[in-house]
Amino acid sequence: MSANKKYWKSGEQLKDDSPIMNKLEQNEFTEEIPTDEFLGDKESLESSKTSRRDFLKYVGFSTAAASLASCEGPVMKSVPYVNQPERIVPGMANYYATSIADGHDFASILVKTREARPIRVDNNYEDKTTGANARVHASVLSLYDKNRLQAPLIKGEESSWEKLDKEVTQKLKNTSGEIAILTPTLASPATLKMIDEFSSKMGNVRHVVYDAVSEDGALNAFQALFGTRALPSYHFEDAETIVSVGADFLGDWQGGHHDMGYARSRVPKNGKMSRHIQFEANLTMSGSKADKRVLAKPSEQKKILSALYNYVSGGSSSSDLDAKLDDVVVKAARQLKKAGSKAIVTTGLPSQEAQLLAFKINESLGSEIFDTDNPRYIRQGNTKAVQRLVKDMKSGRVSGLMISGVNPAYSLPNGKEFKKAFKNLDFSLAFSMKEDETAKLCDYIATTPHFLESWGDVRFSKKLYSLMQPTIRPIFDTRQMQESMMTWMGKGGSYMTFIRKAWEPVLDNQSWNETLHDGVFTASGAPSFKPEGDTSGTQMSSSASSAMTNLMKGTSSKNDFELCLYTKVSLGDGKQANNPWLQEMPDPITRTTWDNYITISKKDADKMELENHHVSNGALNGDYVSLKVGDVELKKVPVIVQPGQAPGSIGLALGYGQKAGIQEEMQTGVNAFPVYKDFSSVQPATIKKVDGEHEFACTQLQNTMAGRDIIKETDLETFITEEKEEWNAVPKVSYDHNETSVRSGKVDLWQSFDHSVGPHFNLSIDLNACTGCGACVIACHAENNVPVVGKEEVRKFRDMHWLRIDRYYSSEEDFDKEKESQENRGAFDTYEDVETAEYTNPQVAFQPVMCQHCDHAPCETVCPVAAITHGRQGQNQMIYNRCVGTRYCANNCPYKVRRFNWFLYNENEEFDYHMNNDLGRMVLNPDVTVRSRGVMEKCSMCIQLTQEVILDAKKEGRPVEDDEFYTACSLACDKGAMEFGDVNNKNDAINDYVEDDRKYRLLESLGTEPNVLYQTIVRNTEEV
Amino acid sequence: MSSHYEAPIREPLVTGDKSYHDISVDVGAPILGRANKSWYIVFTIALLAFLWGVGCIIYTISTGIGVWGLNKTIGWAWDITNFVWWVGIGHAGTLISAVLLLFRQKWRMAVNRSAEAMTIFAVMQAGLFPIIHMGRPWLAYWVLPIPNQFGSLWVNFNSPLLWDVFAISTYLSVSLVFWWTGLLPDFAMIRDRAKRPFDKKIYKLLSFGWSGTPKDWQRFEEVSLVLAGLATPLVLSVHTTVSFDFATSIVPGWHSTIFPPYFVAGAIFSGFAMVQTLLIVMRKVSNLEDYITILHIEYMNKVILLTGGIVTVAYAIEFFIGWYSGTPYENYTYLSWGAATGDYWWAFWALITCNLIVPLTLWVKKLRRNIVWTFIVALIINIGMWFERFDIIVLDLHRGRTPSSWAMFSPTFVDVGVFIGTIGFFFVLFLLYARTFPVIAQAELKTILKSSGESFKKLRAREGDDVAHHVDNDPTAKSPSTNKEGEYFGHLQTEEKNHHDDTVHPGAILDTELKRDKVDSMLDRIGHFHPDKEEQDDLSKLTHAGPNIVKDLHQLGIYKFYQVANMEAKDYQLLDSLLMNFNNRAEEHKWAEEAEEQKNK
Repeated sequence: MSANKKYWKSGEQLKDDSPIMNKLEQNEFTEEIPTDEFLGDKESLESSKTSRRDFLKYVGFSTAAASLASCEGPVMKSVPYVNQPERIVPGMANYYATSIADGHDFASILVKTREARPIRVDNNYEDKTTGANARVHASVLSLYDKNRLQAPLIKGEESSWEKLDKEVTQKLKNTSGEIAILTPTLASPATLKMIDEFSSKMGNVRHVVYDAVSEDGALNAFQALFGTRALPSYHFEDAETIVSVGADFLGDWQGGHHDMGYARSRVPKNGKMSRHIQFEANLTMSGSKADKRVLAKPSEQKKILSALYNYVSGGSSSSDLDAKLDDVVVKAARQLKKAGSKAIVTTGLPSQEAQLLAFKINESLGSEIFDTDNPRYIRQGNTKAVQRLVKDMKSGRVSGLMISGVNPAYSLPNGKEFKKAFKNLDFSLAFSMKEDETAKLCDYIATTPHFLESWGDVRFSKKLYSLMQPTIRPIFDTRQMQESMMTWMGKGGSYMTFIRKAWEPVLDNQSWNETLHDGVFTASGAPSFKPEGDTSGTQMSSSASSAMTNLMKGTSSKNDFELCLYTKVSLGDGKQANNPWLQEMPDPITRTTWDNYITISKKDADKMELENHHVSNGALNGDYVSLKVGDVELKKVPVIVQPGQAPGSIGLALGYGQKAGIQEEMQTGVNAFPVYKDFSSVQPATIKKVDGEHEFACTQLQNTMAGRDIIKETDLETFITEEKEEWNAVPKVSYDHNETSVRSGKVDLWQSFDHSVGPHFNLSIDLNACTGCGACVIACHAENNVPVVGKEEVRKFRDMHWLRIDRYYSSEEDFDKEKESQENRGAFDTYEDVETAEYTNPQVAFQPVMCQHCDHAPCETVCPVAAITHGRQGQNQMIYNRCVGTRYCANNCPYKVRRFNWFLYNENEEFDYHMNNDLGRMVLNPDVTVRSRGVMEKCSMCIQLTQEVILDAKKEGRPVEDDEFYTACSLACDKGAMEFGDVNNKNDAINDYVEDDRKYRLLESLGTEPNVLYQTIVRNTEEV
Repeated sequence: MSSHYEAPIREPLVTGDKSYHDISVDVGAPILGRANKSWYIVFTIALLAFLWGVGCIIYTISTGIGVWGLNKTIGWAWDITNFVWWVGIGHAGTLISAVLLLFRQKWRMAVNRSAEAMTIFAVMQAGLFPIIHMGRPWLAYWVLPIPNQFGSLWVNFNSPLLWDVFAISTYLSVSLVFWWTGLLPDFAMIRDRAKRPFDKKIYKLLSFGWSGTPKDWQRFEEVSLVLAGLATPLVLSVHTTVSFDFATSIVPGWHSTIFPPYFVAGAIFSGFAMVQTLLIVMRKVSNLEDYITILHIEYMNKVILLTGGIVTVAYAIEFFIGWYSGTPYENYTYLSWGAATGDYWWAFWALITCNLIVPLTLWVKKLRRNIVWTFIVALIINIGMWFERFDIIVLDLHRGRTPSSWAMFSPTFVDVGVFIGTIGFFFVLFLLYARTFPVIAQAELKTILKSSGESFKKLRAREGDDVAHHVDNDPTAKSPSTNKEGEYFGHLQTEEKNHHDDTVHPGAILDTELKRDKVDSMLDRIGHFHPDKEEQDDLSKLTHAGPNIVKDLHQLGIYKFYQVANMEAKDYQLLDSLLMNFNNRAEEHKWAEEAEEQKNK
């Protein structure tokens, strides 16, 4: 209606033909715009006042603008997701259950991933028998190894899969002789099925299983006695008497995994704990934990085992042992018999006869600890088959070789022979992640992914299965062995579907997804296991008497040393030698990093004039020897004088001295495999001192506690019968001329923190359960981005481990006597007697030490810039940003747990470890700052993890559950030696430890009030 | 003149026949003269050492503290050792200038200037170490309580290190002010004597317009006293605070209640040793043997004996208490049997030998007064006190409470280089100082010349305390100086043309060039007095020529009767115009005739 209304500005608009309106229509402005005046002609410009000042303004502005425009902001390489992937929320971790099965380490694990990259390996506590050791924890770093191959190789040249597939299929078809597949123990039902299919398709295929470190003896003995080629399971947790004859069952003995049960049996419950007697030559972790450790060379161990058999089975009642040793054996036998079905005998002697005897002893004891119903399949290596393979390669019977996961050119004792035989091959292919010694020899390298990028399955034992799933998309152009085989067989589908199909009979109605989620699966009545590979020619007699006679055969000459080869918890058989975390992980016994060496007793060292001495900066130097076993000589092997080494024996670790496919810095140590003759870990050897001095990098060089109250100890009898004050006295100091307990709260200058609101964290460490295995050390590295500093820096006492495991030897026969000797020392006697370890057979104790998170922290008060603050939850918090690096805190820390960044450890060519390359940095935990140089750092009690737990609970609107808190170390410790929790939550398990009679705090008399507790060691010294 | 009295049995503090003028000349000589070859050689060496140190510091800061020999157990070693060592050395200066001032120890006057200079230079070296020993020295300002952009972020007042910062900076600033205050009259003296315009300008600036009026002197005295009062507690507080770095910690061997007094004594001990080291060289080089006498050296040796004794007692107590406590944690502290027999036995015995045994020789008077031996002992004490700090820091740290972390320390070339660099820096500063600053507080020294100067003591012994005698022998009217040419300082400016007779006191009567010219022309007429050839006459025999008039005449260069006899009317007029109270008495009493008579007697 209003549309007709017309609005007007002037009367002219109302006229129909107004000239003014016409003019306006043509021109926007009624008057001429004075552009000349505005822009100015020359004259007006000259007269204008704007010229100079404004000119400067314009120049200034345009210069600034131009220079600003030319500055480019830094290009960040983070690319946002275009499509948000399912289940990946930035900042939130995803966990996948998977398994490791590299032939040496088998474990069911959980992998923590952030933004689709694995950053940490945890134990999968769905299963309590296959915990992850240090190597398994460190394996995540091997995923980001920059020395990995990135594509398939043909004759050393990078190539494509198409070309490789074409050529390999051709070769497989054309190869005239046998084709051998050389693998380590696979323990993978699906892969075995695959190999079966492959051999039936190709014909003439031989599968040889080769374990670099062999358990052939035990496998043969088990097969002879029980029919399957497997290893027995042990239920150490129920053991009452454990006798080990040279078996380091806390290490890698028979595939490992015995430490969890053992640790449980060691914690006194209702006044009971197991008694452990160890006869051994090298000082091992097991020997360190033993209640009674008896020195015995392998030749003596054989006699001991026979005598033990005789005493237990009621055979002969005398032995050819010397009286002292015989007495110990008699007592051990008595104790075994007393424990009956709760007793267990283990042996680490490599011969099948010795293993058979041990099994027989256990059988005659009726041991329930010794479990043959659920045998373990994680060692299948067959040395005879391997030797035959080498022979057949030489003879030309085998003309094609496919190698997966083993490095025989490096690890075969007769590696040279093997290399020579390689020349006779028509076709050689390696499934390998690296161009190692063996892969280098091969025509083809079918580059494989890391296990964290792979599908797979594992059968640990008859009943226990586990699945392996990728936790990251393959980083490089790699393909699993199984996938390759499928391609070459012309078989469609993926390996995952193959596994799924293979598992159908096993799964028994349980859902695949659920199994995959859990990671482990316990089968009820699964079909018995078919031995892996070529098992021909491994039969032996199952009679004990013939075993005994055979055992005694071939005892070596008196002049020789008995060389005991072993594997370290850090490097194992050397598969992960390129892993800097493992290289820098201190050996639990010698506390030496980046090395292997000959361990020798003081007595023999003196005789041979071999020396260890300290140089001016305190580091350790040692002599070299040349080691000769038969006709093989290892020149220049460094020597460490090892307390507790049986005279007449020497030790040397396998797994070192690799050269190919690994970074120069990690090419450490001496390769001992050439002297691992006939896959026997005991060898007669001679050593000769040679020139030169070796530089060791040890993290601890004071071997004794010097009579101090660092680790508390008592024996079981005292523990049961005496008052707590007798064996775990609280330190007292003088207050008002009265001896007052430091826990009374009176002897205190400081005000206490109020810990009543929110959680208050405590960490309890049970020194009885701790075996010193070092899994926590590596877990801490992974979680907290702890830098690797290299051998030279470790040698300068600059290792960065936030968590260390101290190892002390007693300076006297045992720690009690040491304390006595300290107290009765004359005023002008030197301290040498308490400072020097008892070399013959000292007592050993382990103690993990990290920041003690003192409530009255000496470090906090001395920092001039207040870079250390005390958290409400009990943590002592290091504020890296605020730290100016005076190192006063480190000086004032009585526990010496603070670590200083002497250099820039990341993106620094001088420290060319994982933090110096883009690939290696992928392992970094984004929740934890990477520290810069010049700042102090230390254990944070994994505050990022505790906060995550609190925030998760908050988000879900629930209180934090009991025992939900954890730290990386407490999670990694499958022994249960580390218990972390909130003392403010009365239901939390930590409270039991806080209340425990065994509880003490380190250096409690200082009044620092640590939030870390230790549980006194109790040794079962009771003789029957 | 009773204030000038000093018992004659006291040894003189200024030897040689020194007049006030001589002091001025002697003190001014190194500044106004030109340095010789050996100065340049020593300076070049010091400069090279300094530059080497700078290089090492740059290397440290750019690469990381890891270039030093430290480790996870031993977080401090040479850095803090050097810090405490230098701070300790810096203690003698303030003690001499403040404490001895309050105790009216006159002998301090010859040594205080250099001791203070040494203090300041030493504290500068000391201050360097807490900064460069930081992991992130570019953030060193965070230890200062300054408002910042980090919200409520503040320093930690519990930390002894923070108090160190306060103590050292206070000490440095008070020492500097005290030093400068004392320098004002001396700078003014140099200003007045300097010939080159540039020098004049600089010293004019440095002397803050000192004019030498009584008011100036009064204020000078007041400020000195106030500053001495302020500085005295600092002597105790600085090293007490430094000792807190150790004493408040819980490191066995550090945690010790006797540290504060023991550290202060040790600091003075080492400070005096350093003063000895420097001054024994300097008195020779700068020709100051008459001012820094064997007596001074002996006095300082006595202080060394005293403080060394305190330190020795402290060592004994430390050793005893550590053992007596019975705790194994004390077994390896720096003064313990463990240290004496352990890996660092050599450091332990170096400490004992240098600080305890060798200084004992100073109980023997002959050795105490032996310059060479004193020099050797002083050097040994310097070394010993360095070892004391090294022992306290490294020995106590290397065997801490948890034996698993025991370690050893060995220095790298950078550790050594930085230390050498600070020594170089110190000597660069000290050598420059010796060439540009009046190295003896001459204004103060002049106040004791009459009481403690050797010549005056002799005079008094000969003449008794006769007032007139003193007036007669007013040093300002004495013969020309004798010690103008030092062994090491040639003279440049004194050789310049000088129209005026040296015996003429420059400041008193002839304050303008015009007057000087007039007097000169008069002397040309009546004749010059040649002190080296002639004996002066007793002008007081002239009528109404009292002591003041005679003095005035002397100042004008009139000593002989023949000069007076030659005077004419216009000379009398000139004397009238120049001398107050002269009142034409020469003409009145016909001095010319009297003088003629006397002359011919």
